[in-house]
Amino acid sequence: MDCTGLCEVLTQGGTDPGLAQFLSILLGVLLVVTVPLITVIFLIWIERKIAARIQDRLGPNRVGPFGLLQTFADLIKLLAKEDITPASADRLLYNAAPLLSLAAVALIWAVVPYTPYHVGADLDIGALYFVAVASLGTLAIMIAGWASNNKYALLGAFRVVALLVSYEIPLVFALLVPVMLAGSMSMVDIIHAQSGMWFIFMAPLAGVLFFISSQAETGRAPFDLIEAESELVAGFNIEYSGMKFGMFFAAEFLHVFTNGVLITILFLGGWYFPGWQMPLIAFMWLGLKAFIPYFISLWIRNTVPRLRIDQVMKFNWFFLVPLSIVNVLILAFLVMVLKEIGWVPVDETGAMALAQAGFIELLPMTIVLFISNVLICVPIVNRLRRMGVEQRAAREQLRTQRAMAAGD
Amino acid sequence: MFESPTLQTLTDYNIWIALPAIALAFGTMFLLVIDVFLPANRKHWTPILALVGIGISFLINLFTYNPEQTSTFGGMFVADAFTGFLNIVVLITAFISVLLSTDYLRRTETNHGEYYILLLLSATGAMFMVGANDLIVIFIGLELLSIPLYILSAFRVTYTDDRDATFVLKSEESGMKYFILGAFSSAFLVYGSALLFGATGTTNLREIFAAVGPILESSAENSGALLLLIGAALSLVGLGFKIAAVPFHMWTPDVYEGAPTPITAYMSVAAKVGGFAALFRLMIVGLSGLTLDAGVDPAAWQGTIQVIAAVTLILGNFVALSQTNIKRMLAYSSIAHAGYILMAVAAVGSAGLVPDIANTAAQAGLVYLLAYAFTNLGAFAVVLALENNDGTGTELSDFNGLYNSRPMLALAMALFMFSLTGIPLTAGFMGKWLVFSAAVQAGLIPLTIIGVLTSVISAFYYVRVIVNMFLLTEDEGSPAVGETAPVRYAVYASMAGVLIVGIAVPLVTNLVNMVSLV
Amino acid sequence: MIQFDFSTIAFFVFAVLTLGGALGVVTNRNLFRGTIWLMVSLFGVAGLYVLLSAPFLAAVQVLVYIGAIAILFTFAVMLTRSLTRLNVRYTRLWPSALGAVLLFAMLVIGVIWPVFGGNELYNQPISDVVRTTTDLGVALVSGEGYVLPFEVASILLTGAMIGAIVIARDADEEEMEQ
Repeated sequence: MDCTGLCEVLTQGGTDPGLAQFLSILLGVLLVVTVPLITVIFLIWIERKIAARIQDRLGPNRVGPFGLLQTFADLIKLLAKEDITPASADRLLYNAAPLLSLAAVALIWAVVPYTPYHVGADLDIGALYFVAVASLGTLAIMIAGWASNNKYALLGAFRVVALLVSYEIPLVFALLVPVMLAGSMSMVDIIHAQSGMWFIFMAPLAGVLFFISSQAETGRAPFDLIEAESELVAGFNIEYSGMKFGMFFAAEFLHVFTNGVLITILFLGGWYFPGWQMPLIAFMWLGLKAFIPYFISLWIRNTVPRLRIDQVMKFNWFFLVPLSIVNVLILAFLVMVLKEIGWVPVDETGAMALAQAGFIELLPMTIVLFISNVLICVPIVNRLRRMGVEQRAAREQLRTQRAMAAGD
Repeated sequence: MFESPTLQTLTDYNIWIALPAIALAFGTMFLLVIDVFLPANRKHWTPILALVGIGISFLINLFTYNPEQTSTFGGMFVADAFTGFLNIVVLITAFISVLLSTDYLRRTETNHGEYYILLLLSATGAMFMVGANDLIVIFIGLELLSIPLYILSAFRVTYTDDRDATFVLKSEESGMKYFILGAFSSAFLVYGSALLFGATGTTNLREIFAAVGPILESSAENSGALLLLIGAALSLVGLGFKIAAVPFHMWTPDVYEGAPTPITAYMSVAAKVGGFAALFRLMIVGLSGLTLDAGVDPAAWQGTIQVIAAVTLILGNFVALSQTNIKRMLAYSSIAHAGYILMAVAAVGSAGLVPDIANTAAQAGLVYLLAYAFTNLGAFAVVLALENNDGTGTELSDFNGLYNSRPMLALAMALFMFSLTGIPLTAGFMGKWLVFSAAVQAGLIPLTIIGVLTSVISAFYYVRVIVNMFLLTEDEGSPAVGETAPVRYAVYASMAGVLIVGIAVPLVTNLVNMVSLV
Repeated sequence: MIQFDFSTIAFFVFAVLTLGGALGVVTNRNLFRGTIWLMVSLFGVAGLYVLLSAPFLAAVQVLVYIGAIAILFTFAVMLTRSLTRLNVRYTRLWPSALGAVLLFAMLVIGVIWPVFGGNELYNQPISDVVRTTTDLGVALVSGEGYVLPFEVASILLTGAMIGAIVIARDADEEEMEQ
């Protein structure tokens, strides 16, 4: 392992090289983890403000300017609360679950490129790493549900597993699209491949699929049947109190924003903005772009009613999964065809290299792919509309029958 | 970088030599799609299409049957007389099993298209396995052979209202047992393969053979010889489960009894063909040089195989004596027959330094497999004809006086029993004669004596079936509800096979005498 | 002499995770906790893969073993809650312990002994080319590589999926269709 930067400084200062390396890596890890953890404190405020506006309220406005310090007050409140562990709970697992839940989200940030020069770890397998780490979150919720020794918690955990395991399939298939276009699983390479054109224009369908399934992965409305208050009281975290509850809470908030960042990286060009490559500005661009999907997610959360578990499952297995598979297949086929025609920029070895091409060169390819996506959508939307009309007609019929029966 | 394949590159890779297996795989996938779109009143087309698929693969196999060894996919798949011959055995087995299945499924209310697809998938796995020349392909072929079989064993479970019925529970138990023990044995095989890979640095059997020599010659103390030995032993355990050799045979009677009868017929042959093909390839092509004292001893594993063969023969035959259920009896008999084929394997290993004798022994093993296939399929076809819709009717006493009600079935069963015993003019005799003579040539006199003695013992329980059918004439005999046209064809085909292999010997020996593994 | 650096520390951490997790699996009476320990052990193995410069394998290990298989285990255990607190004591502890020790001894002698020490056969790396994920992908589909096992494995998975559906399909659903 090479020794540069901080490690070099420490070594020159007389520290043991091994120790210096260890310390510098440790410091890097701490830095990367700190960013999301600080972000989440402000995210909670933002989310509460937006939710309040949508619901025609003011939201937090007492503590600090615009209620900015409300979250800190809540934090202190949560810390001061009594920390209860149910007598019949599995102590070790019960206490480990909130940690794991937060860690699973924070670990994703290891592969997030903040700026052109700052990334926790530019893994060769970044996209795969994201999928692998996200599965740890499922595990945390299962452990919480089981260790609480509460039937509502257990039911909530069942629902989570059913939901998360199912929605991981369209998520991964949607993730394949940017990976395929960039020809790499590294997050940095994926961003570089979007220097000329954002992938959202080449594969809008994949972007939408990714957004929907990531919304389900976070377990938010309309997929919040995990903690459906009216049926399960609070779902898997029913027994948790104090800061342990707070950690689940924070993990969920952070997960939503993390998904926004991931969508930005995969489909919205990450920190790219024409001509602006300075670290600080790039970082701000990433954050600003991430707010677009984040805001849409909040908007949906606060306006759409909750779905039933069977509806959610049906939507996934009969709609999202086939659509995502077809999407990947058609895209792969089209890219191969376009490559034969010569509309795809290639490097010397003949491999696809979007990173080297500019906006104009990528335009024909983008148009073809965009149109193909629209063409995939047309019959699907038609079919959905027909299904909706039929269902509504059936319900109407049922209602009139009932009315007539009541009239008799 | 990756180049898009053209017809030219495909022929460069020699893909046509794997065509029989690939064709069957394609046919299966095709059938999977067709079956979905077949309307409910046209479902009888599924087995017919399955038969067509098997037939096409059979024809392709005949056209591509070539005695010289050619390899494809980077040496992972080889086609030689061995592959071609065992492909024929697998395809015949699948064909007869499909014939047996059609009416059986209908009358037991388990008629579902997936059945035939799983059966064909299993046959595909067996075909990939017999051509496998690489540890990875052996393993994947074995899994493709086994996993559909686990499901098919439990196929009678779901589709009946009477969920507590004995045969439902038995089928479930059968599938479960087979699955758990099968998964366990696959783990052994994988562990063994991993150790072989660790010792030699390759998974290709020919390269393993080349690497074994230097390892054995290098400094004796901490060379990889032990790794090789443990790897070979673990692989032997894994394959021993599949062929139901004795210390690993526990699953056989229960699984054979509980599985739907056509599946029992299929599994008793196909699983053995696949297992023995892998055993022959792995032990002879890959590890025949694995000797404890380089160049002098015969291969180190052959002593073990001799012992396993002897124990299998003795235990299989003796326990079969006390069975009252015909399916269990045939299960133990199939264990015993695995012992006879293991004799051939041991003979190849023992004669490893004399290629002529070794090849003769390998050919004897192949002929035995073909003879066993025809005979066992026929015997199970008769059992299936007698079996009632609720799974009863498979006791030995149900055969009493069968000659009165169904003389043709009784005659056929008698022929199969004679063949299993090894009476001259039947296939079983040819198989046993070839195996015994190969074993004698290889110098395995004690093992041959055990083989002959146990054959005599086996006569007792096989002949008992014949006695029941022909001499207990006071019983009026089973109505044989399952004897429908396809089952009858299957019985006739098996009879023809038994007689052809038994009488027209040159036909078969011409096919196999090009087999040379060593 | 073992050098004290980052990868050494990481190795020991992951080794402890792997072995400790495995020990937890066999000693724990609680089935659910057993599966959690299994995950710990599998995670340790994933870490060891990273140290062996096989990040792809590590990610797949976490994804498949922890994210899919172990979750399925816990799911099954949770569905059968009475199984999570087993009262039946496994009585044949000594024979299995003996078997495990014998197997371990055999593997130590067979696997570790040849590699340890100055055996020139095992002292050199099999290949000094660093393989990337791209190479792995190309090897899976190239005619001289692993295309045959890859394709046969996909057929195998199709078969397993059909089988799962056949086993899981409900009799009532069948009747509804008819």
